[in-house]
This record gives sequence, C-alpha cells and structure tokens, in this order.
Amino acid sequence: MKAAPALEVKGLSIKFGDFTAVDKVSFSVNRGEIFGFLGANGAGKTTTIRMLCGLLEPTSGSALVGGLGFEDGGLGIKKIVGYMSQKFTLYNDLTVGENLEFAAGLRKLDPAYAVRRRKELFALIEFTRPLSTVVASLPGGIKQELALAAAMLHDPEIIFLDEPTSGVAPASRARFWTLIRRITGLGKTVIVTTHYMDEAEQCGRIALMRTGRLIALGSPEELKSAAFPGPMAELNFNGREASDFISGLQNAAGLLELSPHGMRWHAAFSGKAAMGAALAGLPPYVSVSLVKPSLEDVFIRLVEGTER
Amino acid sequence: MEASFFNIHRAYSIARKEVMHILRDPFTLALTLGLPVMLVTFFGYAIDFEVRNVKLAVSDRDQGPAARRLKEVFSASGYFSVIQPVSASGPAGMLDSGGAYAALFIEPDFSRKIKGGAAAQAQLVLDGSDNSKAAAVMGYLPGIQRAAAGKLGLQAAGEPFFAETRFLYNPELNSRWFTVPGLAAIIIGLLAILLTALTVAREWENGSMELLLSTPVRPLEIIAGKLAPYGALVLAGVFFVYLVSRLVFGVPFAGSLPLYLAACLLFVTAALSQGLLISVITRQQQVAMQLGMITGLLPSMLLSGFIFPVESMPKFFQYLTMLLPPRWFMAAARGITLKGADLGELAIPFLVLGLLSAVMLALALKKFKTDLEP
Repeated sequence: MKAAPALEVKGLSIKFGDFTAVDKVSFSVNRGEIFGFLGANGAGKTTTIRMLCGLLEPTSGSALVGGLGFEDGGLGIKKIVGYMSQKFTLYNDLTVGENLEFAAGLRKLDPAYAVRRRKELFALIEFTRPLSTVVASLPGGIKQELALAAAMLHDPEIIFLDEPTSGVAPASRARFWTLIRRITGLGKTVIVTTHYMDEAEQCGRIALMRTGRLIALGSPEELKSAAFPGPMAELNFNGREASDFISGLQNAAGLLELSPHGMRWHAAFSGKAAMGAALAGLPPYVSVSLVKPSLEDVFIRLVEGTER
Repeated sequence: MEASFFNIHRAYSIARKEVMHILRDPFTLALTLGLPVMLVTFFGYAIDFEVRNVKLAVSDRDQGPAARRLKEVFSASGYFSVIQPVSASGPAGMLDSGGAYAALFIEPDFSRKIKGGAAAQAQLVLDGSDNSKAAAVMGYLPGIQRAAAGKLGLQAAGEPFFAETRFLYNPELNSRWFTVPGLAAIIIGLLAILLTALTVAREWENGSMELLLSTPVRPLEIIAGKLAPYGALVLAGVFFVYLVSRLVFGVPFAGSLPLYLAACLLFVTAALSQGLLISVITRQQQVAMQLGMITGLLPSMLLSGFIFPVESMPKFFQYLTMLLPPRWFMAAARGITLKGADLGELAIPFLVLGLLSAVMLALALKKFKTDLEP
C-alpha cells in the first residue's frame, strides 16, 4: 500500500461550455511529497485543485485521489482530503474555538476526538492564544495557520493549499512553509499552488501550468537543467547603453533565452561555444558573470517559449 | 459508506454557526425582531383606508326639529363633521371649492312631512373625485340611515334613503383589521426573503461556500441549516406582530391559532425559499438585496390583494398573482383572523403555498448543485 501514489491523474480535463479550463493533465504525486503548481492567474491551477478535492467533476480523464475516484460525485474524496481555499479562511466574526467546532461539525467528528486533534494541531502550528479570540483580531499569518489547522482537523492524508500565503507578510510566509515541511514530515502529502518563485523552489516537484495545460513537470533542479542545458550569463551594463548590443544579441546563434532582470540581462545559450561566439563583441564596460538559472528564468523561458 | 443525502448533525452544525453569526451581529437581530413590529405599528396608523371627519355642508331649508335631529345623527356618527355653509354659493359651491366633501340638502317641509307620516326627502351629494374615499363614505351610509330612522321615529324598512348593505366579518369596516394582518404578511415576507438572500449570498461572495462544499456536507444540509435559524427568527417576528395587532390595534382573532401558525410557517418557508433562490442565482449580496427588495416588496404590495382586490385586476394579473406566495397568505391570514376559516376552507391557499415553496426550493437546489464554478 505504501508504494501507491497519493495522486494518480491521467488526461484530466474540464470544460465550462466551450472553454477548456484544464486540458489533458497527467501526473502523479507520491505520499509525503510537497507538490507545487506554478502558473499565472487563469492557468488552471485552482481548477485542477478543485477537481482533485472533489469540488468539480472532470469532463474527461481520470484521477485517483488516495485511491478514490469520482464515482460517488467526489464525496469519498472530500472525506479524505483537506482543502484550504485562497479566497476564504475563517469566519471573522466567530471565535477561534467556534470556527474549529464548525469545521469539526461539518465532518461529524467525535467531540473528544476533535478536541484532541485541536490540541495536536495547536502544538504543530504553535498557537497559544485563547480559544475565545475572535478571528478578526488575529494577524493574517496566524489566521492562515489556523485555517490550515481547520483543514487538517479530520487528519487528512492529502492536503490541498490554494495560494495559502497570498497577501501574507514575508516572515509569515516563511513560517507557513516551515509548517508545510513539518506536515509532510508526518507523512502527509501537500499539494500547493503559488505564484511566488521562492515558494516554488521549496517544493519537491513543480507542475508548471499555462492556459490549462501542464507544460513542464519536475523538481526545481530538473526543470532548470531541462530548460537551460547550457550556461547562463548575467550581463551588467553598469548603467550604460544596452539596447544596441541587446538587439544584436537576440539573433545570435545558440541563444536560448534573453531576458531583463532589473538593470541586468540574463542570456542563456545552448553551449559554451555558442556563448563565447555571441559575447565576443561585448563592449568593455559590460561585466559578465555566469549564474545559475532561477525558476523565474525557467518560467519565462517555458511560458514565453510556448507563446512564440 | 454513507449513502444518505441528508445528515441532521451537519445541518445542525451549519444552523448553529448561523445562530452565532446572528448573535454576533445585534443589528440583524434587532432588525429582524424589531422592524416588523415597528413597521406594522407605523403603517398600521398611516395606511388607513378609513375616512373620518368628512366635512359635510348642510343646506337646511327646513330648520325644523326633524332636520336638526338628522344633522345630529350625521355629526354623532364620528364620520362627518357638520359645517354650515358660509359661502354665498351654498353647499354646491363648497363642494366645488373643496371646502366640503359632502353636502346634505334638506327640503323645506322635511319636519312637517315626517310628522305627518309623508315621504320626506333629504339628499346627500358626495365628491366622487376620489373614488376610494367616496366608496368608504358610501359604506357608512346604511349605518347612518338606520340611526336616522330610529332617531326620527321611522320604520327602517320604510325609509329608502339608500340601498341596504351589510358588511360581514368587519361590521364597522374597520380598515385596520383588514390592513394589519396584510401588512404583517408583507413585512415578514420581505424580511425572510432579504435575510436568506443575504446570508447565502454572503457565503458565495466571501468564498466560504467553496470551503463548505469541500467537506462532505451536502447542499441540502447547507440549505436546511441556513434556513432554520432565520425561519425561527422570522416566526418570532410573527409572534410580536401578532401581539401588536391584538393589543395595539385590537384586531379580532376569530380563527384557530395553530392554523394561523401553520399558515405563517408555510408562508415563511415560501419566502425563505424565494430568498434562497435569489441568492443562489445572484451570489452577490448587493444584487441579492436589490432583487429581494423588488421581488419581495412590489408584488406583495400591489398584486397580493393587500391594496387592490385580486378580483378587480385584469385577467392576466389575476393569473400572475397565483405565482405569488403573499397573495395566498393574504387570503389565508385574513380568512383565519377575521372569518375564523378552517383548514377545509383554506385548503387551496395552503396547498399552493406548499407547492410554491417546494418548487422554489427544488430550483435553488438544482442551481446550487449544477453551478459550482464561478
């Protein structure tokens, strides 16, 4: 049983009228993995997650979530997964205790069990405030952590987090990711969507989505080496005129990617020889250094690559 | 394996959460309990189809004792205040100028003819430009005629001043008895529609509906859990309105209280279902509120028979009113409070109210299920 994947998705598609929101997506996720969906708004990340939570029924394709399919309209899936939506976390006008009681009631948890779970989860997220705290008075980061606790009250094996850190301060974001690692350390599987590159770097594997299609899949390192097999140079024009040279460079043989990064440019090549040839005519005031491609470079290359 | 599509525990969890929302928001609570009473009191006094102190100009060309007694009958009725014509043009001129609303002409030999047992004549002229007012005044005349016949020592039947009319159930034609039960229907209906439309639309709007649906909770449980507390709240409002109608307006209660309660329950269910349907369709509090106001207020004010009798509407509107829960509740409420009607007599209103609720609930549920994606 242990070897069975947490998620097994094959050719999953969903259409709303004529619009194909998710188009033949296939992947599988192992237990204990942090699996990230990266993509722009409208790329189909949230819709994919909604299907995998049992909220939406796919138009075609199949998905096994913890071994369960959609035969019962997603009801079985709903019982074994936890879901945290990007739009809503907890009811602001209720207290922490009331919110958690409500979450327990929706899943018909035994009251004693719910209390035990609550204590475990409070320890996990290091929540020490009184239960009678009204949610509205909590800082955004804490609220997000509590929402995670509410989504995990029934001890789900698979937890879906839809942009869990949007609108949260950077320090709280880092804390939240510590929590995610803690959860997967307990053997749970976490599927998370994000559009923060630094968060994507922390995922075990990333699925890159664009207009409903999965355009790349792998660990951050795999994605980088697949997108950039050759070296990447960072060109610093030190505030001098760059446009003439850049427009010339765009047509250089073996150039894979050329993109601005603030005041600098990243130029990726298919190999060392190509790079040497292309950068031969570089003005002397330009400093060149070799850099490792970031996920952002991968994202730009893959997303813009398909646009061209 | 749990195959049931309805679980009372989950519905209860939702209801309990809803109660907490309500308790945290004293404004809603006060609004629900206080507003109906306030509005019924307010409108009960303001919407008064009764006409009092009608200015009656008298042209008394007799000046005898019988004429004096006839004038006393009019002024003692409370509906008329007798004024002597002051303008040179006489009572007719005062009607034209609006100085008087009605004019009484007493013929010169009135007292002598009464005494002699001959047919005496007095003519009452009404300003018919406001026909609802004229109709109301006409309604008082038989009573006055009877009083006058007694005062003048005549046999009532032998003195055909006016056609004989008798008003059943509301012998004084006290319009508040008629208005207040109807008003209660309108206000409670509106409140139930608005509250439900808002509470469900709020869950859609803030995204919590998605979270609810990501748990094994079923749409029917959400609906039942959401409707139950507001149903109870609105029924509490019904109770207060009942108290006000009885104690403040002295509306008689001829029928069975449990039957009235059943009618209220049915009507509130219909209104809650309507609110639910609105919120499921709109999913936005603002739109839900506007739609709730329009569909909750206008038809019940204009088409339910509250002001304009359904029977006198054009055929098309008569059929249209059949789709409106307030029309049926209006009939049931007035029937029970004023006539003491029993379930047999009210079978149609009860059945239709139940049917309308069921249809709206089914539509809401269907839309709810098939329409998860924004």
